[in-house]
Amino acid sequence: MLALDLLVNGLVFGLFYALMAVGLAMIFGVLKVVNFAHGEFYMVGAYAYVLLALKVGLSPWVALPLAAVGGAGLGWLVERLLMRPLSVGYGSWSLWKDEYSVVVTFGLSLLLINVVDKVVGPYAFLGPPLLRTRSLSVGPVLVNGQKLIAAGISVALLVGLALFIKRSLLGRQIQAVAQNRLGASLAGIDATHTTSVVFAISGALAALSGALLAPLINPTPDVGAFPAIKSYVIVVLGGMGSVWGAMAAALLLGVLESFFAVYVSYAYRDALGLLILILVLLVRPQGLLGEKVREV
Amino acid sequence: MSGPSNLWVNRLRADFRAVLAGVALLTLVPLFVTTPYSLGILIVSIYFALLALGWNLLAGFTGQFSLAPAAFAMLGGYATGLLNYHLGASLAVGIPAGVIGTALLGWLLGRVVLRLRGPYLALTTLSFAEIARVVVGNSHEFTRGDQGLNVPTLFQSRVGYYYLFLGTLIVTLLFLYSLLRSRTGRFFLAIRDDPTGAQSRGIDVVRYKTLAFTISCAICGLAGSLYGTFSQLVSPEMGSLLQTGLVIAMVVIGGIGTLTGPLVGALLVYLTSEWLRGINIQMIVFAATVIIFARFFRTGLWGLAMRAKPQASEPKGIVGSPT
Repeated sequence: MLALDLLVNGLVFGLFYALMAVGLAMIFGVLKVVNFAHGEFYMVGAYAYVLLALKVGLSPWVALPLAAVGGAGLGWLVERLLMRPLSVGYGSWSLWKDEYSVVVTFGLSLLLINVVDKVVGPYAFLGPPLLRTRSLSVGPVLVNGQKLIAAGISVALLVGLALFIKRSLLGRQIQAVAQNRLGASLAGIDATHTTSVVFAISGALAALSGALLAPLINPTPDVGAFPAIKSYVIVVLGGMGSVWGAMAAALLLGVLESFFAVYVSYAYRDALGLLILILVLLVRPQGLLGEKVREV
Repeated sequence: MSGPSNLWVNRLRADFRAVLAGVALLTLVPLFVTTPYSLGILIVSIYFALLALGWNLLAGFTGQFSLAPAAFAMLGGYATGLLNYHLGASLAVGIPAGVIGTALLGWLLGRVVLRLRGPYLALTTLSFAEIARVVVGNSHEFTRGDQGLNVPTLFQSRVGYYYLFLGTLIVTLLFLYSLLRSRTGRFFLAIRDDPTGAQSRGIDVVRYKTLAFTISCAICGLAGSLYGTFSQLVSPEMGSLLQTGLVIAMVVIGGIGTLTGPLVGALLVYLTSEWLRGINIQMIVFAATVIIFARFFRTGLWGLAMRAKPQASEPKGIVGSPT
């Protein structure tokens, strides 16, 4: 039952990708910029979890929510200190939006990597598992217990996020700002506050993704690079700014990678993402569920 | 030709004169600096200045953001190295092949990505850079992987290499200056300042964006290829995002959208980086500086210097705007 194993494993990884990519899609939705420090939200989450559990000695079940709070705080700070000029006013910054956002978020990414590298050190830490379980068999499939728990938490988070966006007032405000920032402001929505909330949620989700994977991946300071790249592929595949597209595309990418690694090439499994990215840009630039991209 | 000092042509000329003065000073440096170690540091600074100029043509003058200048330098170095390793091709073939190969790759990638408006170039080049690095590192039989690949050297003399890099820098600057003064350069600026306006005036925006990206990649490829022969080794680390971060730091700190800025930034950042290497905080310092400059001094040191002068003029403005 190799195919079934691969499918389940792919879906599990797809869930972790989804936690990250959804936040990236939401940020793109409200600000129309890409956060190139998104992988470092993930890294900070992984480190917060590992250090709180190993060095401070907290139970993993306490360290996990604290890592999420840390990620949310970081996201909120990034919006407050660095992204405000993009969302306040319609003055000169709109001309330099791309320049500013690429340079600042990429700079932030390097800053966080190097600060962690200097303060904590470049070596890898293995996080403690949430539960000490051996592999469980679910039907005919054998799954690592930690992965199964992490996947369950991810599903709960994603469902919760979907309900939040669909049902709650704040969620609807986020949708409105993403559709038309000026229109939403005219309707009395505080777009700046909404953007802060989006950054905090994105930071928390990316940090949780890192914390949940910390027992499986040996976090190092540059651990965020590949999850971030996968999130970029996913948001393009799903349609820039589309949260539902990002969820679907994350699961799809997880499964495709899982099969690619076994049937095509393990060493080059990461190259699949780039291949998909280029194919999507060639064939369907608006992605699976996105609005039509404006060609120049 | 004289006119109001903030006309683009006049600003560009002042900028070009400043950079020529800087280069003239650099030609005298080997008279005072003779240790191979210090010359080596200066050579690497000029390598970074070339990358910074290449990135700046795209980001500063055309408004398109690539995150792969270092990756294209790596690929240029590998093109030269691999041609020699597998086919025994001499550097006379290998270096032009590095330039043409990276230009071709840039053109292909640009064709796919630059049709679209938005952050697609930054997204795709970042993914491309990291994946190219991993693929090169994993292809042990073909590229010797993470061990790196030996590249033959052009000559032994450090001073010779210094003047080779400086000569390349001068040729690149002359080329960029004449390009920016030409019709094509005006099109680049128009695309940067207002893509919709440029399109409505009949400029083939996609074609010129792709052209800027191709030239930018070729400059990076050339720099990488020369760097490979200088250090006699190319490795996947050459293309890491850290190196790209250094290039961006140089341009943003020196002054984006100018010719002098990248050169000053490259010397300043790389020399400081050597100085701070002992305590290993150079990347923290540069990343923080980049964020502060982008946030508060977006015209960089060049802009600050211009502001300090009487009849201040911002280096970046709308093409042909009335005074």
